[in-house]
Amino acid sequence: MALLEVSGLTREFGGLRAVSNLSFEVRAGELLGLIGPNGAGKTTVFNLVTGFLRPTAGDIRLEGKSLVGLKPHAVNRRGIARTFQIVKPFPHLTVRENVTIAALARLGRREAAATEATRVLEQVGLDGKFDSPAADMTLSDQKRMEIARALATNPKLLLLDEPLCGLNSREIEDACVLIEKIRAGGVTIVLVEHVMKAIMRISDRVVVIRQGEKIAEGTPAQIVSDPAVIAAYFGKRVA
Amino acid sequence: MRRLIPLVAALALFAIPLGVSNQFLLHLCISVLMWTVLGVAWNLLGGYAGQVSFGHASFFGVGAYTTMILYLSFGLAPWYGMALGGVMGALLSLPIGLICFRLRGPYFSLSTLAVAEIVRLVALNWESLTAGPMGLLITTLPEVPFFGSAVNWERKEPFFYIIALVAILAMLGTWAFTRSRLGSELVAIREDEDAAESIGINTVRAKVLTLAASAFFAGVGGGFYSLYYRYIDPDAVFAISLSMEMVFLAVVGGLRTVIGPVIGAVFLATIAELFRDRFTVGHLIFYGLFMMIVIRYMPEGIWGRALRLLRLSR
Amino acid sequence: METFIQSLVSGVLTGSLYAMIGVGLTVIFGVMRIINLAHGEMVMLGMFGAYWSYTLWKFDPFVSLVLWVPLLFLAGMLIYRFLLRPIITGDELNGLLYTAGLSLLIANLALLLWTGDYRTLNLPYALEPMRPFGISVPVPLAIAFVLAAAITGALYLFLSRTDLGRAIRATSQNPEAAALMGINVTRIAMITFGLGTALAGAAGVLLMPSLYLYPTVGEILIVKCFVIVVLGGLGSIPGAIAGGILLGVVESFGAVYVSVAYKDTIGFVIFLLVLLFRPQGIFGAARA
Repeated sequence: MALLEVSGLTREFGGLRAVSNLSFEVRAGELLGLIGPNGAGKTTVFNLVTGFLRPTAGDIRLEGKSLVGLKPHAVNRRGIARTFQIVKPFPHLTVRENVTIAALARLGRREAAATEATRVLEQVGLDGKFDSPAADMTLSDQKRMEIARALATNPKLLLLDEPLCGLNSREIEDACVLIEKIRAGGVTIVLVEHVMKAIMRISDRVVVIRQGEKIAEGTPAQIVSDPAVIAAYFGKRVA
Repeated sequence: MRRLIPLVAALALFAIPLGVSNQFLLHLCISVLMWTVLGVAWNLLGGYAGQVSFGHASFFGVGAYTTMILYLSFGLAPWYGMALGGVMGALLSLPIGLICFRLRGPYFSLSTLAVAEIVRLVALNWESLTAGPMGLLITTLPEVPFFGSAVNWERKEPFFYIIALVAILAMLGTWAFTRSRLGSELVAIREDEDAAESIGINTVRAKVLTLAASAFFAGVGGGFYSLYYRYIDPDAVFAISLSMEMVFLAVVGGLRTVIGPVIGAVFLATIAELFRDRFTVGHLIFYGLFMMIVIRYMPEGIWGRALRLLRLSR
Repeated sequence: METFIQSLVSGVLTGSLYAMIGVGLTVIFGVMRIINLAHGEMVMLGMFGAYWSYTLWKFDPFVSLVLWVPLLFLAGMLIYRFLLRPIITGDELNGLLYTAGLSLLIANLALLLWTGDYRTLNLPYALEPMRPFGISVPVPLAIAFVLAAAITGALYLFLSRTDLGRAIRATSQNPEAAALMGINVTRIAMITFGLGTALAGAAGVLLMPSLYLYPTVGEILIVKCFVIVVLGGLGSIPGAIAGGILLGVVESFGAVYVSVAYKDTIGFVIFLLVLLFRPQGIFGAARA
């Protein structure tokens, strides 16, 4: 049984179908890339899985149990954490406080939460920056912090929404190393990204969507030569 | 050493009537203390949770009417009635929260205003329960023996002690609240509600609980109002301006601090009472004026600014 | 049937004035993204203006529009320039609290200066209502309706046909783009606030012969104004007009068919329902 199963997922906004009859699965321990042209519906998929949006139709199952209808905090308690396309730190709090609150929500006791926060912050490599206000950090560090905050909730599945957006090539390198390290630690990851280099390098499998529909699925090597994918990105004439 | 300050302050507070017998000054203190309770109550939701309510008068009024009705119709002594008034306020807050918390920011605030107006209009028109615009009046307060002799309700001292106790309980309650797990959830919600949800915080539950606590203290404050002023009508206890006064107190004093609303109450309520004594009406001018000054120059409030200055001078 | 028509007519007449107040508020919101809680006080000031110019100098209130509208326009611009502009850049809620403070300040200054007595104007030509087709129509309200329609029509022409009007609409749709096109956004904001205030004041002048005046009348008016503006969609002028008339009609029917006492409540209940289920308003574009 896959860790996450999405079947027939559909979401309409008035007349617009943002996600249309989408089905895919995420296997435990893998790193799944989710790619597609702009406006394909990738963030909508994340919002549906994490409960920020309700599906118009279809089902989402984590370890066999349906998540449809659950509020985001309940989805998080079941074991899914996420980052946001545009970083959403708790701006007036320090880095340490940002992560401690996440741990506290789960553990309930301050000392345990503080220890966990420190552990997670070291894991993502933010040592030494714990007590700076989150709003003052660089984008790269803010993204790291958001990942740390998500990890502090001890998720089975981590959804990363364009974590590399806005980073320079050195920072992208470092981020990829971090993502692989997290995966190695046993967390399953779904990665939405536009930086193809990264997707190709670190994903085990890739799902390609376009205008809300799945158009291809397979290993990075497979999808890169898939004509439908090429058409989606470069137009039909090139394919 | 610092931990003793609140204790000393509380003792000093209770000692005031021993040293002050001027009834007007005592009335001033009582007024300040009552507004402190209301400001502290509002601040739980408005300052800590970041949900600005323009409709808290509905909880105040419900507390006032509960206390009044329980005394006039059932003979329940007003001090017990006050506690029940708080409970009624908290109960009322549940459906209100369920409706209004679906909205965010200014839309939430406006919806609380609409709800408060509905409550006021219901109170105005449900004459069989509330006697409508005629209001309700307490003519005699119960005879209470206190160390031998009966409590003299004609003097201000008994009322002072009651409201001082309530004020201290309210501040203790807020302090405990902010240090609890719910308190840190509120901080997260205030900073970014969606992010808070995404890390497992049940934002609806947190907001509803906070509102209930806030409404409870507002209701107790309303109950005291009934006891002290002995006459209530819908325009006195459900007025929009009353809701605004609570907001202004907390904002001017300093949101998110326990002492802030106290400072706000001392500052604004004193000016208001003094002005009201001279001119009868228009005391709210200062509320409006200071609100504008604070938002423009000191958004963190008087106490917030004071704390900042203290920190800088270290 | 006759009651129905009578009720409808009364509702539309009153609603047209609600609409004018609402248009003023929505125009301000559209350009500045400020929810101006002091708007009700502007209506109140218009009412007082008409009252004093009638009581002291025997100006017919409808004629006194000529005096008060420009004055309130000017007052609005000054308020914007000196009181509002410094806090505009802050967050929405701060703006809301600030205008709440302004509202309390103005209302209570009026209370202090002019006392809380209820005041009315009794125009000599308004003692008997007109009775077209057997429907009773109070004269002042009818005149007010005609003038309100004229003013709103003029506003429409102004916004759609003049350069300044177009600049205002552009700013309300996208202030950054407007600035890039060379529009002086601050000047537009100032003019718009003056415009909104003038509309509110004009509504007050027109309403004076038909309503009781007291300094805190703004409180209930501003809540009704929000009902209108949210019903119609924040920022939408046609929406505010429709919302205003709708509210007038709902209140009128509510008074006749449900109960006079609860007529105000009905509007608020509808407000809550709209906020919950269709926050962009009945006519609004999904914008806010």
